[in-house]
Amino acid sequence: MDEEEYERMIQRCLRCSICKWVPQIQVKSQKYATICPAMDEYNFHTYSGGGKIILALSYHLGRIGPSDELRDIVYKCTECGGCAVSCKFLNTLEPLEIMCEFRERLVKDGCGPMPAQQKYIEAVKKVNNPYNEPHESRKEWLPKDIQTDPNSKVLFYVGCTASYRRKEMAIATARILNAAGIKFRLLEDETCCGSPILRTGVKDAFLESMNKNLDAIEALDVDTVVFTCAGCYDTFKVDYPLHRKYNFEVKHTVELFDELIQDGKLKLTTEVPLTVTYHDPCHLGRNAERYEEWDGDVVELMPLVNINIPKKPKRCGAEGVYDPPRNILKSISGLKLNEMERIMEYSYCCGAGAGVKSAFPEFALKTAQIRLDEAEDTGAEILVSACPFCSTNLQDAIKEKGSKLQFYDINELILMALGMDIKKVKEKAAEVA
Amino acid sequence: MSNNSIISNLINICGEKNVSNDASVLEAYSSDMSYVEAKAPLCVAWPSNAKKIEEIVKLANKLYFSIIPISSSAGPRLHGDTIPQKDNCVVLDLSRMKKLLKLDKKNRVMMIEPGVTFGDIIPTLEKKGLKLNIPLHPRASKSVLASTLEREPVTIPRHMWDSSDPLLCTEVIFGTGDLFRTGTAGGPGTIKQQEKAGIAQLNPMGPTQFSPYRVIQGAQGSMGVVTWATIKLEMKPTIQKVYHLQSDDLQELLDFHHDLIKYRLCDELLILNNLNLACLLKQTPQEINNLAKELKKWNLIYVLAGRGKLANDKLEYLMGDIADIMEEQGLDPSKEKEIINDTNILRVLRQPDTDSWRMRLKGGHQDIFFLSNFERIPEFVSIMESQNSYDLGVYIQALNLGTSHHCEFNIYYNPNNAEESKHLKENFLKTCTKLMDAGAFFNRPYGPWAKEAYERHSASTQSALKKVKKIFDPNNVLNPGVLCFDD
Amino acid sequence: MVLEEDTFKEFEKAVGVGNVNDGEVITDAYAYNWCMEMFNYMDGKEPLPYSSRPKAVILPSSTEEVQKVVKLCNKYGIQVKAQSTGLGPWNCVSSNNSIVVDLRRMNKIVKIDEKNLYCVVEPYVSGAQLQAEIMKYGLNCHMPGAGPQVSPLASATSMNGPGFTSPSTGHSSRNVLGVEWVLPDGEIMRLGSWGMKNNPDWFNGDGPGPSLRGIMRGWAGAKSGLGIFTRVAVKLFPYPCSTDFELSGHSPNYDFKIPDFMRLYVMDCKNFKRLDEIIIQVEKEEISFMCSYLSGLAVMAIFANSFEQMMELMAVGGMKAPLVVIIAARTKREFEYKQKVMDYILEKNKLANIIGKQYTPYPVFYAEALRSNLGLHGFIATGGFQSTLGQCDTAKMCLNSATLNVPAKQLFIKKGAVANDFGEGVWMTSYESGHYFHAESPTMFDQTNKHSVKGTAQYFERSNEIGLVKHLGAPFFVEGDRWHDMFGPHMHNYHLWLRKIKEAFDPNNIADGGFYITPGKDKKGALKK
Repeated sequence: MDEEEYERMIQRCLRCSICKWVPQIQVKSQKYATICPAMDEYNFHTYSGGGKIILALSYHLGRIGPSDELRDIVYKCTECGGCAVSCKFLNTLEPLEIMCEFRERLVKDGCGPMPAQQKYIEAVKKVNNPYNEPHESRKEWLPKDIQTDPNSKVLFYVGCTASYRRKEMAIATARILNAAGIKFRLLEDETCCGSPILRTGVKDAFLESMNKNLDAIEALDVDTVVFTCAGCYDTFKVDYPLHRKYNFEVKHTVELFDELIQDGKLKLTTEVPLTVTYHDPCHLGRNAERYEEWDGDVVELMPLVNINIPKKPKRCGAEGVYDPPRNILKSISGLKLNEMERIMEYSYCCGAGAGVKSAFPEFALKTAQIRLDEAEDTGAEILVSACPFCSTNLQDAIKEKGSKLQFYDINELILMALGMDIKKVKEKAAEVA
Repeated sequence: MSNNSIISNLINICGEKNVSNDASVLEAYSSDMSYVEAKAPLCVAWPSNAKKIEEIVKLANKLYFSIIPISSSAGPRLHGDTIPQKDNCVVLDLSRMKKLLKLDKKNRVMMIEPGVTFGDIIPTLEKKGLKLNIPLHPRASKSVLASTLEREPVTIPRHMWDSSDPLLCTEVIFGTGDLFRTGTAGGPGTIKQQEKAGIAQLNPMGPTQFSPYRVIQGAQGSMGVVTWATIKLEMKPTIQKVYHLQSDDLQELLDFHHDLIKYRLCDELLILNNLNLACLLKQTPQEINNLAKELKKWNLIYVLAGRGKLANDKLEYLMGDIADIMEEQGLDPSKEKEIINDTNILRVLRQPDTDSWRMRLKGGHQDIFFLSNFERIPEFVSIMESQNSYDLGVYIQALNLGTSHHCEFNIYYNPNNAEESKHLKENFLKTCTKLMDAGAFFNRPYGPWAKEAYERHSASTQSALKKVKKIFDPNNVLNPGVLCFDD
Repeated sequence: MVLEEDTFKEFEKAVGVGNVNDGEVITDAYAYNWCMEMFNYMDGKEPLPYSSRPKAVILPSSTEEVQKVVKLCNKYGIQVKAQSTGLGPWNCVSSNNSIVVDLRRMNKIVKIDEKNLYCVVEPYVSGAQLQAEIMKYGLNCHMPGAGPQVSPLASATSMNGPGFTSPSTGHSSRNVLGVEWVLPDGEIMRLGSWGMKNNPDWFNGDGPGPSLRGIMRGWAGAKSGLGIFTRVAVKLFPYPCSTDFELSGHSPNYDFKIPDFMRLYVMDCKNFKRLDEIIIQVEKEEISFMCSYLSGLAVMAIFANSFEQMMELMAVGGMKAPLVVIIAARTKREFEYKQKVMDYILEKNKLANIIGKQYTPYPVFYAEALRSNLGLHGFIATGGFQSTLGQCDTAKMCLNSATLNVPAKQLFIKKGAVANDFGEGVWMTSYESGHYFHAESPTMFDQTNKHSVKGTAQYFERSNEIGLVKHLGAPFFVEGDRWHDMFGPHMHNYHLWLRKIKEAFDPNNIADGGFYITPGKDKKGALKK
């Protein structure tokens, strides 16, 4: 978003509040009609997508200056993009992009990020991961019995969270790849994808991470990079190309495994008699839609009315990865999928993203609990998703809430359907941890 | 100021023929069938237009006399709201203001003066292919405007989009003597100018950010004197089919009744007990009693109506859909017994009554009526039945698109039987208060009900109403003593 | 800190910690609103989209908390402006001595009364939320043209209230039953049967005796100038067809399974005279779920989800007097009957339905029609949009008004202040099966362009003047002292009565009357008692 577009957009919020709700025609109940975690938690209009556009304008006009109060409000947002999907059902504003740009401006003015976020950004700079874990232990998750192939054209980009915190996801992915006979390799020197940095508006540090990763990958003869982390996937898929083009394909494991199942290369033969509900991670869903290149002109059709020629693609989340995880779940015999009310492009956020988990952990937990309520109301016993960050936050909330739900990553369910003993896989994860 | 001076001033305004303090004239305005204590007014004046009313109201503010506006002078009047409660009351009898000022078929509206009665207007409307949503078999001499101002229940709930229907715009002289027009009639412009612009005074709301017609309505003449009003009309049906369903179980009929109103399937829709249906249809006490015995206790009457070229098609669809509902509810259509002739029912539903159907059984009746929600109707019926030792008529009327229900109990008695009358009088208010205590909403609190009803209502309502009264009638010249305006 | 520390603490005590904020960041967002720039310009101020900044924003969670807040405002002489979902400049304060009460935390559907066909809602229940819940009972609610995201309570108590489904769901003001209302002096008022001490219930809002609904609001609402509404009962209507609501695909190009018994008609009546006759013919048959006249450009807009898509519909936009009717039915019989009626009307008037022949809308149009989302399409051309005029009585008057407005609008189109709709942009809907009609003139402008804002404001004023001079009724934005004082003398001095109401119910002038009326002053400048 360039300067001109930013200025044009921040003046155009209608203050209609559509950004607070799922798209209006998708409202299925009173309980699950909202889309914005920040509004649900903090209530003042200022916290909404529209409210933050107003703040951007007020800041731009000098009506308000940089302050801790401003910083807190702007950073109490998971950048889940739900507001943008709802707004863009009819409108052409970009609440999420405005938010990202606004944060960048605050950072430039010394009003961001949050101290906790600054801490993890420093950690990334120092040890390549936001958890401040030793870089050299990044691969400790890898069980000895997993086969990797240093010459493979498939790279499994594990990401910081699966490497250090959600090892079971990394392990499950690796085992499935092995089971399907897909040879894969790991990066020798994987570094944080930069997503948690980018979302806080610290652009230079993000670019540093991006370049490290792209340099490392492009030095290899790799044609596909596979991710089990939705955040890394989104960052590679959507954000990197805005700054640097690359020439390999990116796939989330749900896409790859769905293909393998359809092609008969992964045979899910074991019955998994569970009732599950699936949480669409924002980074795998609505935000995983690439920006289509548009090189058209804005033409004045008549005074005050402009038209894009050719038609400018509207990024509304339709191209998110929605079918593959559902196809996988439907391929598992005995498994029943009960959908939540808010799904796909209007899925409710888990609450962890954009630095919220570190800067405002209580907010993150409360948001996750709202999502758990919705999951519980489906009658499911299992909550399943495809993102380690969602996994962490949702599992933290399950503990906090004392929910009867169990959380599994979708790859763990695949393992069960492959006949592997998930407990053993988990034990193994604990062991390596 | 002496009484004579008041009268002479009134004569100056209305002309000698149109003011009277003749004792025999005053007597007719001194009492009615209610238990409100009789009291003679100072005089009666028959103004002929708004200008004169404006002058009289201004005079009342100047000379400190009170005004009781009356539109249906022919009576019998029932509720005590027009009986003087103070000295120096002048009855403003508007029954001679009888002009039908406008009848507009295209826009389904008429503009009438207060003296226009149901007897006057129903035949006129029928000839024009129009229809008014009327109360149940209203007295022919009853003022249409007064009936709407008093929010009398009407019989087609699906055409009652608001509790104020069918009243639309009004011209009113407030208690201050100021002339005002409500709704779109308020302007800008005169009625003629508005008409030129295409306005037909259809929109009752406003002007702008208040709707004074709502505070004039239900005020028993204590806020303003309405000199004309526009009234909402419907198209007259070409075909009507009457249904009469009987049961000993009120709830069974109520459940079916609910679906009829929920899906807006019928025009007239009401429930009567056997005695009231008999009173409506028959003339003599014996005929009434005979028919009542033949009927089951509860009677649901509904009318399906079709209009225009496709009237039959409409009836077919309605009959089919209703048959499905009956089947769903396990209702036996054979309960529809043809004891009663359809034409007779249509007559009482569509035509005015030359006398009063409530008088036929015993020559007298006292009515208790209030609003209830749907669920509590049977409970109120039980309370009433347990409290009553007289012949009891029951009438249940869904209102306002089925959101509330008018519950009316007609206690039939012989007014010439002193003991019966005395006993009823002693127990009447007790029964009413018992119902009020149970949550019956006496939203039209006449006579002695007012005190009881307001006592059972939040104090803020009274306080707000008093503020409103103070604005529109600061000197309390209009019908003092009614509602909650006298401290 | 803007509020005195003690005052802040008292407010905080009333509504709980975290629910009062007087910081500039929170409060500045409440100073901004849609079209504020235009109203500022009309008030002789700089055309910025901000009002004065409220002194604080307060989030009460109950009627009792609202009452405490209002009493504190009386104690400290601070004005209060309430808002529910908060769309529009009337949600902004009109002085620098006002706080905003944001009713956001009052978001309960208190009751869905299937048997008595009403529901009770708090201020922050949205129309879409309410509809989603009542659809489960086969019921529908009225929603204003502003869209399903706004508050049904605000529409019923405080705003105007025409909507696309008005032929079958009426007007917000006329759907009101019981009401809970915190008066400007802090007293709690419960209207009608809800005010009873024994077994209060919401089914009726009138009486005992006169109905205070007439003080509460008129055709337009008091925009919080006469207190704060905390709960309202509103009528419900039968849902027009099957409540199965099957959307598939993704936003914004959802696919929708059009209910079996639902059909759209778009017919060009060619001129207003015929349109007037035909719309009344349709409405007298009591068959329509929706029945609107929309100018050609507006028809294009309701069928499009972007301006580019709208431009693909030029063929539709060429109609001179398009009548848009939707019929819907619960049963096959009902549907066949309604279609027969429409066929008859079409044949009698030699009209053609273009739907399915010249044009077939995307199925999502039907979903939006059922969920009252069509009004929001007014924004897709320029992003800036406001309705001028706003009159309500006969179809003929509405169409006269539209015609008289064309030259005024064209003048501002020529000046480049208003986007070119040939001056014809109008939406007219029937209410209550054609018993009356509402028209407004959607006007597109660019809110970021000062020339456009100023010109649109001037056009807005000109439109109101046309209403006055041509006796078309008071347009729906005749609100605030300036407009009331202009129209009142031509309308039996209604403004003096309205002002008396304000004075009687708000003796300390606490409810912000910027979009209502303010009390008169005596010669010394003190408020009249």
